[in-house]
Amino acid sequence: MIPAGTAFSLLILALAALAAGLVARRVRLWKSGSEARLVSAVGRTISAVSADKLIAGLKALPRRYLVDVHHVVGRDPYAARMHALAAGGLLGGSLLALAGLIPVLGMSRLFWAVVALAFAAALAGGFMVGRRRLPEKPARLSGGRFQRLPLYLAAYTGGGLLVALAGVLPPLAPQALLASFGWLGLALAAGGGIGLVLQIDRGPMRHAFAGAAHLVLHPRPGRFEGERATALAALDLDAPRLGAATPADFPVNRLIGFDACIQCGRCETACPAFAAGQPLNPKRLIQDLAAAIEPNATNAAYAGSPYPNARPVAGVGGPALPLVGAGAMIHPDTLWSCTTCRACVEECPMMIEHVDAIVDLRRYQTLELGALPLKAAPPLMELRYADETAGRPLAARTDFAAGLTLPLISARPAEKGPAEVLLWLGEGAYELRYGRTLRALVTLLLKAGVDFAVLGPEERDCGDLARRLGDEATFQRLARANIATLARYSFTRILTADPHALHALRNEYRAFGGEYEVVHHTAFLDELAASGRLTLGALGQARVTYHDPCYLGRYNGEIDAPRRLLDRLGLERLEMERSGKRSMCCGGGGGAPVSDIEGERRIPDIRMGQATATGAAIVAVACPQCSAMLEGVTGERPEVADIAELVLMAVEAAKLPAAQVLA
Amino acid sequence: MIANAEALLKPLTIKGLTIRNRVMSTSHAPGYGKDGKPQERYQLYHMEKAKGGIGLTMFGGSSSVAIDSPAAPWAQISVADDSVIPYFQQFADRVHGHGAKLMIQLTHMGRRTKWDTENWFPTISASARREPASRTVPRAMDKNDIRRVINSFADAARRCKQGGLDGCEISAAHGHLVDQFWSPSINERTDEYGGGLENRMRFGIEVLSAMREAVGDDYVIGMRMSGDELIADGLSHEECVAIASEYAKRGLVDFLNIVGGQARDHIAHAISLPNMSFPVAPFLYLPSAIKREVEVPIFHAQRVTDLATGARAVAEGHVDMIAMTRAHIADPHLVKKLMEGRDDDIRQCVGAGYCIDRIYVGGDALCLQNAATGREATMPHVIEKANEFRKVVVVGAGPGGLEAARVCAERGHSVVLFEKDSVPGGQVNIAAKAGWREALSGIPRWLFAQVQKKGVDIRLGTEATEAAILAENPDVVIMATGGLPNAGHAKGHEHVVSTWDVLTGKVEPTGTVLLYDEIGGHNAASTAEALAKKGCLVELATHDLQIAQEVGTTNQPIHLRELYKLGVVMTPNMELIEIYPEGNRLIAALRNTMTDAEEERVVDRVVVDYGTLPVEGLFQSLRTRSVNDGETDLDALIAGQPQRWSGQPGFALYRVGDAWTGRNIHAALYDSLRLCKDL
Repeated sequence: MIPAGTAFSLLILALAALAAGLVARRVRLWKSGSEARLVSAVGRTISAVSADKLIAGLKALPRRYLVDVHHVVGRDPYAARMHALAAGGLLGGSLLALAGLIPVLGMSRLFWAVVALAFAAALAGGFMVGRRRLPEKPARLSGGRFQRLPLYLAAYTGGGLLVALAGVLPPLAPQALLASFGWLGLALAAGGGIGLVLQIDRGPMRHAFAGAAHLVLHPRPGRFEGERATALAALDLDAPRLGAATPADFPVNRLIGFDACIQCGRCETACPAFAAGQPLNPKRLIQDLAAAIEPNATNAAYAGSPYPNARPVAGVGGPALPLVGAGAMIHPDTLWSCTTCRACVEECPMMIEHVDAIVDLRRYQTLELGALPLKAAPPLMELRYADETAGRPLAARTDFAAGLTLPLISARPAEKGPAEVLLWLGEGAYELRYGRTLRALVTLLLKAGVDFAVLGPEERDCGDLARRLGDEATFQRLARANIATLARYSFTRILTADPHALHALRNEYRAFGGEYEVVHHTAFLDELAASGRLTLGALGQARVTYHDPCYLGRYNGEIDAPRRLLDRLGLERLEMERSGKRSMCCGGGGGAPVSDIEGERRIPDIRMGQATATGAAIVAVACPQCSAMLEGVTGERPEVADIAELVLMAVEAAKLPAAQVLA
Repeated sequence: MIANAEALLKPLTIKGLTIRNRVMSTSHAPGYGKDGKPQERYQLYHMEKAKGGIGLTMFGGSSSVAIDSPAAPWAQISVADDSVIPYFQQFADRVHGHGAKLMIQLTHMGRRTKWDTENWFPTISASARREPASRTVPRAMDKNDIRRVINSFADAARRCKQGGLDGCEISAAHGHLVDQFWSPSINERTDEYGGGLENRMRFGIEVLSAMREAVGDDYVIGMRMSGDELIADGLSHEECVAIASEYAKRGLVDFLNIVGGQARDHIAHAISLPNMSFPVAPFLYLPSAIKREVEVPIFHAQRVTDLATGARAVAEGHVDMIAMTRAHIADPHLVKKLMEGRDDDIRQCVGAGYCIDRIYVGGDALCLQNAATGREATMPHVIEKANEFRKVVVVGAGPGGLEAARVCAERGHSVVLFEKDSVPGGQVNIAAKAGWREALSGIPRWLFAQVQKKGVDIRLGTEATEAAILAENPDVVIMATGGLPNAGHAKGHEHVVSTWDVLTGKVEPTGTVLLYDEIGGHNAASTAEALAKKGCLVELATHDLQIAQEVGTTNQPIHLRELYKLGVVMTPNMELIEIYPEGNRLIAALRNTMTDAEEERVVDRVVVDYGTLPVEGLFQSLRTRSVNDGETDLDALIAGQPQRWSGQPGFALYRVGDAWTGRNIHAALYDSLRLCKDL
């Protein structure tokens, strides 16, 4: 037994006790939240506070951490190695060193060699942490306490290493030298250890225990079971308070989620609003939410990148104080900048649910305060009175198809049985540009002999816009009305070209009793082509890049069918720098086009820049919002074409002798 | 994308008939009728618009319901017997096959026709007042005439319905029989059909009532009428509103198709078919005013040349359907292009009025800037890709060269276009300098934009030389080098300047100018106008019987109006025989072509228009090197076959437009289209 070793073990015990105290303080703050709740894949909420759920969460923790979290962390291999070394070495070395109190082990050189190895690994991890931040800290990483982390890590793990080495080396070095080695190590470790433990309260070390707790009590457990789990939680409209005004309005497990943030900044890198210079930075937002749970809270400690073009706020709060407003933590423009694209959620290694938080905050602003951005209010008003965002007659939704055969399901003879597909037209049907896409789709359905029908004047808005803008009451009314309409008709599947409608109908109507098989037109056309119901010609050598709609790719996981379909057209398909589930938003979701929060650039311009960079002549889209946003980009740029339009060209090319269609 | 486009693309339902959008073409007389029937050419012309996405196309302007309203004068259609019905059926099938609706205009022309044609029956009207436009003096109708014509209208309506047409309108505009009864400027009757407005409206009411009875209440019948005759003794705006209200209230009409003005004489005719000197949509206020008073849908045509104007008219509620008749002659696919987001590709009507003028000078409607219109059987509106791609060099970026480059590029050929000037457009640039003819510049503007879009290698400011052309190693060389002014053959012609010199500003005449014209086109008339506006005292002399004799009825009166207003002395039937200087002035000798009497003028300038002579130096030097000696196979051109030298080693050489022989814009475009579509 070496004296420094024993002292080190005791130091760890003391640090653990101090850490426990700080954790307890934080847990007390969490308790200001409302009852912990879990959200099912379709947006139903259930209580999380039961022994079996807690145990299930605890049991699932290792797998959630080692598989799900590391799946995200591993996208940055440097960060993954860094974390494995630093966290693994630190925890492993400390636990082992604690075991040094057991005399047999404490006397073993081999034991101390293992401890030394663990701390050496941790030191290497700490070095990587420092290396990443020095000499120049990348913009996405936070400074302040976070910048001191490598120092504490180095001191603690280096100290631990010295102590362990003092236990390994006795035959090789003079006793006195080793003893001083050991004491020096202990002093270093004590300094670094205290620094690290104090970072549990407000610094980077908080993520360790809050992250673990978050994984145990994650509000969307379905995400760990292979579900996309992206439907918003249905709001109880009879609740005393609608949406979240204060930290206390969030369920405990959501507050834990805010604390889990390690400020790695992956969300801000992914956020389209941030890129466009709008006042939203998901990292800062989560930090503001986390800071606000303390009494007399301020946002002063935050040392990451700010909200771009930040609107001035007081930056103060508390568990029962408002979160949003110029006199609070978060400016309303920050909330309304979000496109609900979920890129931040997709990138977050701590599995934080930013969009849920934003929508909860919006719900309070909209339903309780009526405090919407100027241009976002009229569409909601129109939805309330006319079931349509611009107050246009519902019957005019089929105007785009004048001259085409568009069978109404209400006129369908009963003896024909259920329609093969019910075509949900969506809001895009009113738009001239998108009407062209729908004409192409309808033409394809007719050519393929698909037995389809539309609701026509009975189709109301699906409620997506209302829901994302926080008007849950209007969403629920529209959902129930549409579900009642759909219940009167017989069909096998719903087909739509609008991923927003698809998400609402497939995932979000379930909480209100509407269960449908919903297929996106790209998947459906792919089926038609695969089964030979559509014969495709080749479109020549044109180069195309596919822009994934957020509500199709990230929200619904459908990234293969559109690509498969494009590949059938004989085009050269190029991928953008960001694609698939990590694709970048067009700027059209979440009501952002109507909220219209000023920034420096337009999101679609940025996205079109990425498309142009591929050298493609065509950006293939699969969503009316994407189509509208990208068509709005001016100047020299690739053509925007919905996949349905390209498929129709290919079907028509199949009839031509020379396939020079796009040449 | 244009503003309010969605307003145009909304369907309109009239009595169960759903028209797919708000864009239509009104009934007009393109001169394509054959034996009084709408046959192949007529049907294909309208089918092209249906293919191009139009909602409703109306044909048969002034289709005759009775044998004393002859169909012959404008090669029109006779609905006076059942033999037309199978043609209607075939026609309707063709148009319906492309999703559009088809209607016809029925009329009795009354006095607005000729007695010395077809059946040689006397013309009839409300009263025996001569119509200046047709130079016809009619007989006042008696009760038997009235009864007979009413029955003819009813029978004709039945034939339309049997023929599968979606509806019909009667013409009570432009001085046809029904509005001859309405208008106090014609109707001097003292019986129950004359006098107060109520009596003057009676004949039309009886016509429509009989038609209703013949076809039932569910068949669409409309009426074309004026919203204001715009003459002192004619129908006032208030009377027109009263007529529209009365007819609509009685349920006699399902739509009203409103025009401004009338057409009883030359200038009225020109105003009712506004040319490029008018603003766009000059009479939109008239349908708008009537729409406020009636419940039925309102249609309107009159120089709505662009979709943006049409969309505004519909979106703001002035009309329910916007008729873009001449706009469709320029581009029958304009709705399709709008729907496909290709509105930049629309060939916009410039308002040259060539289509209508052609009916009076030439006999069939053709578009100044689209050689395929009216030739759908042989000329494509959409150019197909060639099977084999060639290298084509085009010399000259006037209308002929631009069209050749455009068509070749559409065929997939690799095209190099040389133009020695720094801007494209050729002679059109000069013509467009003449006052209200400025809109002509739209013709090369569209062509050039297309040529750019199709990736033609354009070399502006680059004179083509033999070496430069051969360096391209071409398969085909097309010379579109245009022409240069012909100074004529009068003795002393070295003392004259050309209309080009005046319009380009190369010479700036002052004082007294004699302008001598041997072409009879727009050129001399518009140059005379330009000179007079600069303060010159101008005499415009011509060998022809009248000034601007080759210009048709929608443009010639405007020229004459302007020349009269400016005090230009107009001297027809004169030949310029000699020019010689005297002091610092010129003496011009003129010979009266009828009497041979000679006259002299003392002037400061003699300006002449003898047209152009081809610029053919480069052509002559290249022809011996070419595989075809520069010869065009005319038989192949007519047969729609590739030229017989295609595929031989070396290059074939052709010439188009004024480089071939000085003619006009349409001729240049037609030369190029029919040559290049088969290259």
